[in-house]
Amino acid sequence: MTTTIDDELWAALGDPTRRRLLDLLLAAGSGTATSLSAQMPVTRQAVAKHLGVLERAELVVPRKDGREVHFVVNEAQFARAVEQLATVGAAWDARLHRIKTMAESIQALRSTEREEPNQ
Amino acid sequence: MEYGTIEREIHIEAPPEVVYEVITRPEHIAQWWGFDASFPAVAGGNGHMTKGRRDGTGTLVVPISVVEADAPRRFAFRWVQPEGEPATPENSFLVTFELTPVGGGTQLRLTETGFREVGWEAAQLEAQYRDHSAGWDEHLPSLAAYAEGLVRT
Repeated sequence: MTTTIDDELWAALGDPTRRRLLDLLLAAGSGTATSLSAQMPVTRQAVAKHLGVLERAELVVPRKDGREVHFVVNEAQFARAVEQLATVGAAWDARLHRIKTMAESIQALRSTEREEPNQ
Repeated sequence: MEYGTIEREIHIEAPPEVVYEVITRPEHIAQWWGFDASFPAVAGGNGHMTKGRRDGTGTLVVPISVVEADAPRRFAFRWVQPEGEPATPENSFLVTFELTPVGGGTQLRLTETGFREVGWEAAQLEAQYRDHSAGWDEHLPSLAAYAEGLVRT
């Protein structure tokens, strides 16, 4: 295993509203609590709270622009999250390899029995 | 970007009947997945898979619901839906095994869909509890004896 599980990162991604926020930010490049809440069925306050969770997990970075705070996705941290998701594929590779080993072992034993029926 | 589907293929030197057995029978699932599985391998069959948590804090219980059981061609199930809720595309992963006879063996194709929809909690669960090959190595020495018993009974 090359990556360690970061609980805060995963907890941040565990909420569908926050994943939607990330999707919107990735699509638009950046956004404010106000602009994002206009695209979602939640209040500006709720969006601001979710952005705070994403910021603590380092998935988004705030950039002050006058009186407004624009948020952008932290690409490095996002890539890290994607990399961890990719390990799910590795888990299936391991399982399929075991299925192969087991099925071939069983088949080998059955073939042997057929070749030596009365021993 | 689409991380919602995992697709894998592997060739197995055993006929589809044997591969199907390994995929669907709880006693085999315990060996290749590490879960104690309890479910009827028929369409609509609901059950659970359980395993001890790695950190020793009790037992992980995961619901499983069989979607399709067409021996020895296809086996599909949904898993990780919330306890007590019917499995849907929104709340679970769909795992599909497709078995194609090739020569005397089997081409086994796996797809798992649903990450994008279900969210990442379940991916986290997978990341935390995914199997390590070291764990399997412990079981390998007993496999021959185990498979032998299976053939005899």
